[in-house]
Amino acid sequence: MNPCAVTTGFFLLGRCGRPSVTVCRCGRAVCAEHVDPQGLCPECATAQAYADPFHPGWARGYRRRYYEDSSGQYSDPLWYSRFDSYDRDQFDAGDGFDIGGDTGDDGGFDVGGDDGNDWVDS
Amino acid sequence: MFWRKTRAAIERFHPVHQGLVWQRTASATLPPAEWNALVGSLARHADTVKRRKWRLPDRTVTVLVPLLRVLCEDVAPDGAIGVTADLRGPRVPGKAGPSRKLPVRRPVRSITEWFAIDPWLAVRAELRDGSVLDLTVTDRVRYRRVHKVNPRGKHKTKTKTKTVQRITARRTLQPGQDVRRPDTPPPPWITVRVKSAKRTVVGATMKLGPAPAEVDQVQWILAVATEPFRWTPPAATVRRTA
Ligand SMILES: [Zn+2]
Ligand SMILES: [Zn+2]
Repeated sequence: MNPCAVTTGFFLLGRCGRPSVTVCRCGRAVCAEHVDPQGLCPECATAQAYADPFHPGWARGYRRRYYEDSSGQYSDPLWYSRFDSYDRDQFDAGDGFDIGGDTGDDGGFDVGGDDGNDWVDS
Repeated sequence: MFWRKTRAAIERFHPVHQGLVWQRTASATLPPAEWNALVGSLARHADTVKRRKWRLPDRTVTVLVPLLRVLCEDVAPDGAIGVTADLRGPRVPGKAGPSRKLPVRRPVRSITEWFAIDPWLAVRAELRDGSVLDLTVTDRVRYRRVHKVNPRGKHKTKTKTKTVQRITARRTLQPGQDVRRPDTPPPPWITVRVKSAKRTVVGATMKLGPAPAEVDQVQWILAVATEPFRWTPPAATVRRTA
């Protein structure tokens, strides 16, 4: 089973890496901890808007907006792309969770059972 | 008597939650799991407690909860987050400074001015990359009590307030942790100070006047907290978190 590819952390980005139990519709392998009741990864579940900070997934859902906002405030596009590229790198499963290890091709992408053609840009 | 059940329910809340209800303050250093337990307890408040007098201070839900959610993401299970929150507001004894009279012209009879300093939030988080983040938020409220006599000889007083806010974020890095000046300077409303020592300290300060609206508060805190994180290259922030 692929390790969970969910991006963890808020300011300090990391990769979950627990054994995955399912694959989200976006292609991410997701562990039991990170899967939502609909089988979605936190990022996709965000599309269903966690407006409520009492929701356990709120910070993960808010994170992308935070990076967009702060990148704008700081006129620092790199700040956002740093997050975005890290978050997208997770589709390169098995890259050793190393930010430098961008394989740049989808060849190593294995989502077991997902045809991989229905990706949604988040 | 009537509220006995509610009081009993509050007494079953997380101890920090109870402190926020009874004292409107919180002071604790706990691991993320325990803060999550607090947030879970706070989430039940609105449904359990209908009495206005025992409602949570506004900033519990608008600031404390989202901020804890964010910080818990970056703190390892055995790390700690320390929170000192005083949500009683600026009007409690001890926060107001000395007052003085300002020169006036008729029909104003007197203007009394004083300031209150309200350091209402201090947070320290031991992050999982070994750095430590300290956040503080302080309101400075200017009060002006104006006493005037209207043309019909009636005495009127009115107190005007003006609040400015100072937010600081300081990140103390691990010894030897990579530091790199960001490609772009921070926005003009943020000042940065970097102290190079065995452990480099990156501090950012913002003064906001007027203080932000309650709903925007946490965004401003995170905006200031951003600067110290721009100073470490992303590679240094990568840590497996299984
Ligand atoms: Zn996971
Ligand atoms: Zn997904």
